[in-house]
Amino acid sequence: MTKHLLRSTVAAVALASSATYALAEDVTIRVWAGGSSPNDVYRVDAIDIAADLLEREAAVRGEELNITVEKKVDNTWDDFKQAVTLAAEAGNVPHILVTGHEDIGPWSQSGLIVPIEDYVNLDAWPINDIYENLLEVASYGGVVYGLPQDAEARPFFFWKEYMRKIGYTDADLDGLADKVQSGEYTLANVLEDAKKMVDQGVVPAGYGFYPRPNNGPDYWQFYTSFGGVMEEDGKLVLDKAAMQRFYQFFVDAVAAGVTRKNHIGTPNDQWWAEVASGKAGIWHGGTWHYARYTNQEGLKDFFGSISFSLIPAGEGGKANTLTHPLVYVLTKQDNEDEVAIAAELVKIASEPRINTLHAIKSAHLGITKQQSNIDLYSNDRWAREATERLLPHANAMPNNAEFGTYWNAMWAGLEASWTGQKTPEQAVQDLEAELKNSLGEGIVIR
Amino acid sequence: MSASRDIVEAAAVPAGAAAASAHPPRWRAGWLNSSRGLGLILLMPALVLVVLFFLMPVVLTGVFAFTNMSTATGISGGTYQVTPGALRELADRHGMDELAEKLGQPSFVVDEQGLKALEEMGIEPAIIADLREGHLGETHASRREFERMLRDLPERPDTRTVKRISGEFSRSLANSRFSSRESLLAAAEGVDPELTEEEKTALVQATYTGWVWTADNFRRMASSRDTVRILLNTIFFVATTLIIFNTAFAMLLAITTHYIPERPAGIFRIIWFLPRISPAVIYVLLWKWFAWDTGFLSAFLDNFGIRPRNWMLDTAANAWFFVIVINGFVGASMGMVIFSSAIKAIPESLFHAASVDGAYRWQQVRHIILPQLKWPILFVTCYQTLSLLTSIEQTLLATDGGPGGATEIWSLAIYHTALNNYAGNLQYGYGAAMALVLVVIGIVLSLIYLRVFNYRALVAKPRIEL
Repeated sequence: MTKHLLRSTVAAVALASSATYALAEDVTIRVWAGGSSPNDVYRVDAIDIAADLLEREAAVRGEELNITVEKKVDNTWDDFKQAVTLAAEAGNVPHILVTGHEDIGPWSQSGLIVPIEDYVNLDAWPINDIYENLLEVASYGGVVYGLPQDAEARPFFFWKEYMRKIGYTDADLDGLADKVQSGEYTLANVLEDAKKMVDQGVVPAGYGFYPRPNNGPDYWQFYTSFGGVMEEDGKLVLDKAAMQRFYQFFVDAVAAGVTRKNHIGTPNDQWWAEVASGKAGIWHGGTWHYARYTNQEGLKDFFGSISFSLIPAGEGGKANTLTHPLVYVLTKQDNEDEVAIAAELVKIASEPRINTLHAIKSAHLGITKQQSNIDLYSNDRWAREATERLLPHANAMPNNAEFGTYWNAMWAGLEASWTGQKTPEQAVQDLEAELKNSLGEGIVIR
Repeated sequence: MSASRDIVEAAAVPAGAAAASAHPPRWRAGWLNSSRGLGLILLMPALVLVVLFFLMPVVLTGVFAFTNMSTATGISGGTYQVTPGALRELADRHGMDELAEKLGQPSFVVDEQGLKALEEMGIEPAIIADLREGHLGETHASRREFERMLRDLPERPDTRTVKRISGEFSRSLANSRFSSRESLLAAAEGVDPELTEEEKTALVQATYTGWVWTADNFRRMASSRDTVRILLNTIFFVATTLIIFNTAFAMLLAITTHYIPERPAGIFRIIWFLPRISPAVIYVLLWKWFAWDTGFLSAFLDNFGIRPRNWMLDTAANAWFFVIVINGFVGASMGMVIFSSAIKAIPESLFHAASVDGAYRWQQVRHIILPQLKWPILFVTCYQTLSLLTSIEQTLLATDGGPGGATEIWSLAIYHTALNNYAGNLQYGYGAAMALVLVVIGIVLSLIYLRVFNYRALVAKPRIEL
């Protein structure tokens, strides 16, 4: 077919045959993970474990393979992506990257990453056990580029004590998640309840609804809640009415005094500490925040203090959540042998047992079906309940090379209306002009 | 200066002449002996640095500005990839639905052509025989499906062999990548031998993943509503910081420290120099601790019943206040040092004479200090305008352009465009175009300053004896 495929396969074959006869092979595989906190060390440590297994497999076959894994974990996303793209231009990008699936679009187009399906058998264990929809998220244009590293969902959280103070019974709270899912409890109710909390002095002003304090995929959930669609038939979509309702929601929250006007830019550490200690009434976050709340922030009784649900529906949409799977991707390297070994490592790292270490330590959700048969996973109440309640309703952001431009513009519009620099109407008009200007035919506006 | 050069040249000429008459000429020594040659050599390191770190970036910015470079296109050139998006473009923009359909339908056909290729590659004959007998003429819609069939063959070929075989039976271009235009067209002609020139051009255009030359960046900048807002922000930021802090406040510091005894004056100057010599991150972090809702200011005001808040990002006005003060304190120290030394250079006797004449401090400032400080003020104004235009780190660390883009200045917008994107697609081309505008503004402003302050008069002989 293509020269590239031919070359890669020939190299792979050469590796397979040469490895049999080689006395000893020393390989250094470098892996970088972005957006990872100390709870996420298994993103890179899994590659270490996989290297050990691969070395043993080689030893059993009578070969000697020595793999050194160089690991680097970056706490943020922006810096990580900047570092990766610049390293790629400089020609020394690491073999394996752990990154958000949305990077597959631009990075595959630029040739920074290579399809993993060129190196592994997708029908073999453990890849054949990975959830189909997650594999799809790791694909671009029908080609599987990466393997999912974890899955998650982004729930709404309610501080039970304050909900009780504004009149909810324990039975109400137990049924809240179902009411959210059925669309009975909406974002309008969120504002109402948050306002009650502030008015009754249960929480300080600005702490009724206490959303994520910086840019993130979370905000696309609200666009979806108000009926917005991100992509259709491979083309980005801006639904102006939905976008305006979404902006308006945050403007209303500020006007009602339940959300702070200057909330954006609050440090994450402060946000986590505040919501985990019951300073806020209602907020949203990610399933992995469970690990943060219960470990670093010292929340003793999570299930006794907090209820969680999908993101409630807004006008014109339905309740939803967003999964933002991270993926292992392989970068293009001059040495094809190393890419083939990196592919093997990623494959082994996806073993349910190894992945479960990450899933439970970091409170993410599993990627394979068999993980529910592993005690460590199934005995974890959070993993079990979050998987059941949230994952079936999860959307993912599109893999589209232009999505980053759309995202930046969407965020700029939200920030401008939230802080009162523009009205939501004005912000959407500007967003439309900006997108027409920068994406042209790449986006459908309606 | 010119006198000393004359002496060097006068000395060099006879020496060189003498050497030439006595021995064959030694060109090396001759070079070094001429002051021009020596000067050039001594200047070389500086020249290299200027070219490398000043000229090259500017030239590259100019080049990048006329491209659509981004992470997706890469910098080092592109390939030709038949993605679903490229096929859609072929259909939508060029109206070549049929061609797109033909090229893009993924299909794997077991035919004699492919089997022959397998024989040439030296694939196990048993596998080829199986394929010929059991599967000749079969068509599979996806690679995965086709490879599954291959794996189910009695020989159970391993993954590497399967990948090699499937490559030979692919009869579509969907998702394939070509390193050159020729290989793309050759492959396309393999699918559809009757490609017209027009179709070829469209295909090449739609599938190219690299960057192309374009002036689109400037069109986009001109028609973007953000451009005007960011430009006004920048003008406001530069003008306010420059006038209030970099010149006026710096002058105030220089004059007040002039009139107090030497020792305390030195201490004051060092204190005001701290913002400049402390690392930007620590300096801004201190401001953040001061202004955040869990910071000093909130904690202090809490005693008076004022609700804690993030003072730095509370409103656009607050954010501007902090951005200007943070930048201004850094900038003031430079003006202070230059003005102080200029004041020191004014002969003491002038001040004594003025005192004897009964001039007040203010009159001394008005009639002695300020007139002598015209050139330092010009220098500080010029230099600080340009450095404020390109200043980024303090603002980035403090507000990052917030709240809601209120303090987004031009240099920060360049950074956000070219080097910062949550979804991993950095827009180098557009960012470079924005940077180029900054370069042009800088040059134009420098020229205007030179004109307004009358550069000729500046380099003329000083009017006071120094």
